[in-house]
Amino acid sequence: MKHLKQSVLLALSVLTLAACSKDDSNAVSNTVTLQFNNTYKDQTIVLGDAQSTAATVLTSQAGQTHRFSEIKYVVSNIRLVREDGTETPYNINNLDNGATVIDHSKPESLRYALRDIPSNRYQKIKFGLGVKSELNTIDQVRFPNFYAAAGANDTEMMWEWGAGYRFTKLEGFYGADNKEMSIHTGSTVQGPEGNYTQGVDAYRDITLTFPTTLNVASGSPTIFIRADFDKLLSGNANTITLSTGTGGTDNATPNIHTALEMVRFVDNLGGNGEADNSGMFSIQSIVE
Amino acid sequence: MKINPVIFLIGLFLIVACEKAEIEAPVVDNPVLSLSIPSGFPAMNSAVQANLPTKYGVALGERLFQDKRFSGNNTVSCSSCHIQSSAFADHEAQAIGINGRVGIRNTPPIQNMAFMKFYNWDGSKLNLESQAIVPIITHEELNSSILEVIGKLQNDPSYPLLFTNAFGDPSITADRIYRSLAQYQYTLISANSKYDRVRLHQNEVFTESESRGYTIFQLKCKSCHDTELFTDQSFRNVGFPLNISTQEAGRARVTGIAADYMSFRVPSLRNIAYTAPYGSFGQFATLMDVLDYFDNGVLEAENLDPILKANNNRIPLTQQEKLDIIAFMKTLSDSTFVGTTKL
Repeated sequence: MKHLKQSVLLALSVLTLAACSKDDSNAVSNTVTLQFNNTYKDQTIVLGDAQSTAATVLTSQAGQTHRFSEIKYVVSNIRLVREDGTETPYNINNLDNGATVIDHSKPESLRYALRDIPSNRYQKIKFGLGVKSELNTIDQVRFPNFYAAAGANDTEMMWEWGAGYRFTKLEGFYGADNKEMSIHTGSTVQGPEGNYTQGVDAYRDITLTFPTTLNVASGSPTIFIRADFDKLLSGNANTITLSTGTGGTDNATPNIHTALEMVRFVDNLGGNGEADNSGMFSIQSIVE
Repeated sequence: MKINPVIFLIGLFLIVACEKAEIEAPVVDNPVLSLSIPSGFPAMNSAVQANLPTKYGVALGERLFQDKRFSGNNTVSCSSCHIQSSAFADHEAQAIGINGRVGIRNTPPIQNMAFMKFYNWDGSKLNLESQAIVPIITHEELNSSILEVIGKLQNDPSYPLLFTNAFGDPSITADRIYRSLAQYQYTLISANSKYDRVRLHQNEVFTESESRGYTIFQLKCKSCHDTELFTDQSFRNVGFPLNISTQEAGRARVTGIAADYMSFRVPSLRNIAYTAPYGSFGQFATLMDVLDYFDNGVLEAENLDPILKANNNRIPLTQQEKLDIIAFMKTLSDSTFVGTTKL
C-alpha cells in the first residue's frame, strides 16, 4: 500500500510538472544582449541643458543647431530572424518581460538582455519603436512592471490622455537662443486592429540585417545598435525645420505633444513603415 | 471502514480543484434596467448593448463615481468635477484635480452619454468603458493607478457585497470598475426640460421671448447644435480664443489631421445654463459673452468652419436676438436631472 501511495504521488507530481513546463527539447539557453548607442552621426550624444558646454550640439540639414537634455524611447516586440526566415519572438506579447524603456541618462537601461535564446544562426533583428497597438492600452493589471517602469516620475513614458504609452520622449533646446524643444510621440488609434476608426499609429517596426550571421551557440553575444538622432530633423522621410508658436505647424513645442506634427518625426525616427523600415537605427557591430 | 488512501488522495485533489465552483454566489435579482430613450434622440452607442446597465451595476457605478479613493491622496473623486447640480460639469474654467492641479480643458458635462459617439472634447475615446482609466492616471486629475484603486477598495468591507450584487462574485477587477462606472453614466439621461414639454405638447408653451429665441436658434445655431441632443457631434473650429497649452491641438491631437486643428466637439446645449463657463478651456464666463463673441467675429483660421467663413467669420445678432436665444437656451434646463426638482 505504501508503495502504491508513493507511486501515485510520484505520478501526480510528474503530471503537475509536465503541465507547468513549457520547455521544448532545445535545452540550450543563451543570452543575447542588445546595447543601444544614441549618437549624432557616429558620436555618442552627451546630454545637457541650455547652458551646458559639454552637451553634444547637433546641426540639422536645414542648418538648425539643437541639443538634447533627455532621450527616451520604448523598444518592444523583439524578434530574431533565422537564416531560413523564421522568427524567434522574444516575449512579444508580454511588456513586462519583452519591452524596455531606453533612457540615455541611465547607462544600465541602454543594455537589454534577451535570455534563453535558442541556439541558431540569425540574420536579422526586428523590434518595435514603441508598443504595437494591441498592447498599447495602459493595463497595470496585466503588465505591472512595465507600467511601473514607464510611469516612474523620472521616466514619464505614460501618454495619459491616449491611455497608452509614450513611444519617444525627447527634450532639449534649439537655435542660437536655445528655445525649448519637446518632442513626444505615441499612438492615438481607436478601434479594431488594422481597421482603426480614428487616430495615428506611431508604432514603427524596425528591421536590421546583421553584417555577418549571428551564430548563437554558446557564449553571450552583444548586438550594438546605433540610434542616430541626427535623423530626427534630417531623416530619410522628412527634413524638418523647428519652429515655436501657436500655429498648427509649429512643431518644436506646441502641437508636438499631439498627433498633429508628430508623424513627421515618427517617420524620421522609425521609418515610414514602407520603403524605410530602419529609420534612425543601424547595426553598429556584433561582438560574439 | 478503511479508507483507501489512494482514492482519498485523488478525491482530495478533485475537491481542491473544484473548490472555487462550490462557493455559492448569493442569488440576487439584478435586472437589466430599461433605459428610456427620449423621443427623437439618436441611436445609442453600440458599446451600451455590450454593457447594459443593471440595477446593481449602476448602484455600484454611482458609489464608485463618488469614491475619493480613486485619487492618489483620497481627496477627489469623479464627482468632485462632475457635479450633479452643474449637469455633472463644474464651474471652473479648466478642470481642477488633485492638489489643485489645473487640467488643460473645461470639465465636460456628463449627460445623455449613451447617445454619444465620441467622448471628451476631442473625441479621443469612442466608448466610456475605455475612458475611465484616463482621469485615474492623469497627473492633473486623480493621479492614481488602477491597482492602487483596487487595493484601496479591497480594504472597504462594504464593496464585496456591492460587487457580488452587480457581477455575481466579490472580486474587484479593473474591468468591473470600468463597466459599472459606464453603466451608471449611461443612466444619466436628460430630456425633461421645458423645451421637451413644449415639443411633446405637455401643457406648456414658450414665452414670447423663448419662442422668438427658438426661431432664431433654428436659423443661426441649429446647423451645428442639431438633433434633440443639440449637437450634431461633429468637430469644428469656430475660431474661439486659443488655448496655448503644448498639449492642445483640439481634434487634431487625436487624428493628426491638420484640418482638425483646434476643432472641438460641438457641445450639447442641454442644461447649458448650468455649465458656465463656456468654451474648451472656459474662455467665456456667460452665454452672453459667447453670443457677443460670435456677433463681433471669431478668429480667422485656415480650417475655420465653412459656415462661419461663408458669413464673414461671424454670426450677426442684435441685442434682442441674443436675449431671446438665451431665454430659449434656458428652456433646455432639466431641473430634475440636476437634482433641484425631485420627481
